[in-house]
Amino acid sequence: MDENEAFEYVKSTLKKEKITPYQSDELEIVKSIGACINCGLCINHCPVVAAVGLDRFSGPRSIAVELSRSPPEFWATADKVYLCTGCGTCREVCPKNVNIPEIVNVVRANIFEHRPDLVPKGLMIVKEIIEEHNLAFEPWEDKEEKEESRDMRLERLGLPSIPDIVKENAEVLFYPGCQAEERAQEVREAAKAILDYFDVDYTLLDEFSCCSLPSQLMGDAKTARKLAHQLKGKVKKLGVKKIVTTCAGCTSTLADLSVRDEWGAPAYHLLEYLVEEIGFEKLADALKKTAKPNDIHVSVHDPCHLIRHTSRQVMEHALNILRLMPGVRVSESVAHDNCCGGGGMVSFHASEVANSVVQENLIALEKTGAERLVTPCPLCTAQLESNLFKSGSSIEVDDLTVFIAQRLPKKG
Amino acid sequence: MTKSKFDVVVIGGGSTGTAVARDCAMRGLQTLLLERDDIASATVGTCAGMISSGLKYRDEPDMMKICSKEVVYWNHIARHIIAKNPILAPLLDLSDAASDSSYMESYSEHVEERDVPAMMFLTPDASIEIEPMLHPEIIASVYYEEYFIDPFRLCLLQALDARNHGAEIRTYCEVIDFEINDKQEIEGVIFYNRVSGATERVETKLVVNAAGPWAHKVAKSAKDYLPIRLNKGAHVIFDRRIVNIGITVKAMDGRWIYLFPHENTTLLGTTALDTWENPDTLVASFDEIEYLLQSMETVLPSIREARIIRTMTGVRPLVPDWKVPERNVTRGYRIIDHSENDGKKGLISFLGGKLVTCRHMAEAVTDLVCEKLGKDIACSTHEKPLPGNEDDVDIIALSKEYDISLHALERMRARRGTEMVKVLELTKEHPEWKTTICTCEPIIEAEIRLSIREEFPQTLNDLRRRLRLGTGPCQGTFCTYKAASILSDELGLAGDDFLVDILDFRAERWKGIRQSMRGEQLAQEELAQGMYACVGNLDQSDVDYDVKPWEEGF
Repeated sequence: MDENEAFEYVKSTLKKEKITPYQSDELEIVKSIGACINCGLCINHCPVVAAVGLDRFSGPRSIAVELSRSPPEFWATADKVYLCTGCGTCREVCPKNVNIPEIVNVVRANIFEHRPDLVPKGLMIVKEIIEEHNLAFEPWEDKEEKEESRDMRLERLGLPSIPDIVKENAEVLFYPGCQAEERAQEVREAAKAILDYFDVDYTLLDEFSCCSLPSQLMGDAKTARKLAHQLKGKVKKLGVKKIVTTCAGCTSTLADLSVRDEWGAPAYHLLEYLVEEIGFEKLADALKKTAKPNDIHVSVHDPCHLIRHTSRQVMEHALNILRLMPGVRVSESVAHDNCCGGGGMVSFHASEVANSVVQENLIALEKTGAERLVTPCPLCTAQLESNLFKSGSSIEVDDLTVFIAQRLPKKG
Repeated sequence: MTKSKFDVVVIGGGSTGTAVARDCAMRGLQTLLLERDDIASATVGTCAGMISSGLKYRDEPDMMKICSKEVVYWNHIARHIIAKNPILAPLLDLSDAASDSSYMESYSEHVEERDVPAMMFLTPDASIEIEPMLHPEIIASVYYEEYFIDPFRLCLLQALDARNHGAEIRTYCEVIDFEINDKQEIEGVIFYNRVSGATERVETKLVVNAAGPWAHKVAKSAKDYLPIRLNKGAHVIFDRRIVNIGITVKAMDGRWIYLFPHENTTLLGTTALDTWENPDTLVASFDEIEYLLQSMETVLPSIREARIIRTMTGVRPLVPDWKVPERNVTRGYRIIDHSENDGKKGLISFLGGKLVTCRHMAEAVTDLVCEKLGKDIACSTHEKPLPGNEDDVDIIALSKEYDISLHALERMRARRGTEMVKVLELTKEHPEWKTTICTCEPIIEAEIRLSIREEFPQTLNDLRRRLRLGTGPCQGTFCTYKAASILSDELGLAGDDFLVDILDFRAERWKGIRQSMRGEQLAQEELAQGMYACVGNLDQSDVDYDVKPWEEGF
């Protein structure tokens, strides 16, 4: 057997033994897990454990001390690891900074490769959609219907209609994310309105494609790499200097990829961009000019992908922007930073778990007396909105991007 | 209940002793096994579990042939407790490659029957793709495969199977004397029951001394003589599988050492030091730990960053070849029939041997025992499976049926095979016994209860050997009290016994932790101390407990 045949043979043995060799960039993650001292602090903070109990989801500690220790046995964690919402609360409270959300992705990738039959069906459906469309959601079949839906939303929310722009060498790429691209189109339009109002030189993608987070979360590492590569090519081709998004998940993913794959263009959430690049002064001026608005009492939800996967400062920015708005009163909910349950692809295959997790947020929200909830993530918005509606609550939910766009004066 | 007359008394509950008891019982002999401590509590309990192809012993071709054949038998009778490890031997210079060619040839002679490939070379790029922690400047690596068995379960299953075939297995029974008649024939064995405190005697026709590193002491009790060469070996244990595959490398003194994924940990071993110390209190030295780490660092530079949870130390009972280094001492075994050297009649002792050959050794000695007893019964230990090996187990179906997590069941399967259903049946009447007791392994209460009822443990350490209780990263920080309360409930232990057993268990963990305590494990031990000293106040306990030698100050 020559060396190449030998290598092929060895790879087939590894496959049989269910071993996917750790990649060098995964070694840091594996090392971080080795720091777990089994103290259990994370268990008391895990929103999934709190919602469904340890029998259903054995919690972050079990992932560190039990489930992630032996790759040939990763397949046998499939009934647990897909219930992690990846919110990152465990990592935040951990005295040893154990990187649970990342090891969950490593374990899921192993299951995806060796035992795809154990990957929840709901995720495999998403996988097929991504494979076919490079999008996490089935696109509209009829373009006209999609536009009609968009226009209805704009009319209902009182948002201006701004034509799409695609051009090379713009300062900024606005990247709406799959949810705003296909479902919550008002968020995409609101962001365009904001960027347009502040005369930002921006472009959209000619053909939108997914940031790769859903593939990464379901363990489809191959597709995740393919999507990341594809997006890098588009960013490079457009020649933009910065990337701005309105989705929390896209923010943390694009920020990580931009560093990992050397895109040469940093990624921002729109809130960060507004505060860091536009500045409070211009924002304050603009918001003051708004035609006398009605007083409104809001509460805020913090998306995990911003506060725990990006920076808690992003939500400081959000609160500071809200404070600039005349007539807006903010009451903090005690569960403002509790996971909405929609993360980690959990809502795609175990919606009952996702919907149990969000109950804590709903209860805390009722106590604030707020009439509206705002959050800078279209996925959190959808999860919270549908559960508030089901519970019969009168609280309405707005994506924060929409809420801001609505309070900007007419341009000119 | 207990019989007082036997055909054969086997002394020692290690891999060899339990294999002998099984073989004797299966051939219909009245068999008693006496073990001074617990099953697999000494040498075999500190080995890496490799059922080796014997490639290190290429100068003993017969030995390699036996090893290879035995691997085939093990895979037939105990596949549920066996796993295969792919292994790389990375080479840093060409002289390494030249010195290895004879290994490659002798290893490859018997590969077909073991269902593994011949040794082969991999390029540096391929090697690093398989194991990214490897030194970037390796020039090639040699790839081969070996099988590994759970040594604790192997011994226990052999003991249980012996019992199923009518043998009596008595743990915590230390042989202290022999009854010898005028014709220098052994007629009886006198032993001290360490649980009841009583001295007991049984009559027997023959005695098989499989006491490992105490074999010469047993011979001495019979006023006989057995020269032996005792050799200390230490392992360093890591918290999880830190490498994708096994790694072997030549240490600074030219011995082969290895880093093997084992169950859900990784073992780095071994050292080899001739020793005259008490095997019961032996611990790994700082020198041994450094020898292993520095030798492995030559090919895995970051090994020191990984988390070491403990060390384990055992003693090899080698054949007394003198004037050669340990690695040149035969790994073949000797059966010493003391009657042939004007010694005591009826006493047969073992020297040497390896884990992989324990069944073969048992077959040979049982042939001799049968011959002496005038019986002609064929051996069947290589044909009949050990308990649990009868069939495949559908973990996914069991998980649905009993509503227990997949991983808990998969770990249980690796210990019990088809026999795991007995544990699961207990949860039908007691669903509360699905509670996880040891979080690292994990182990549910029902398995602890079943083990106590059917696998004759007396202590928490016995449960550890049967179930891997407290062997994970936290080293029993959280399971000790919980398991102790279950043990007390099942065995009716009094309050003081409960506390002493907790202290014993903690002491045994500490024995392995203390020497290698560094890095991340320091935080773990702070937490453990907080649990047991600050919360449990165990350091202030006034129970009658003798501090172990390794617990005293440096």
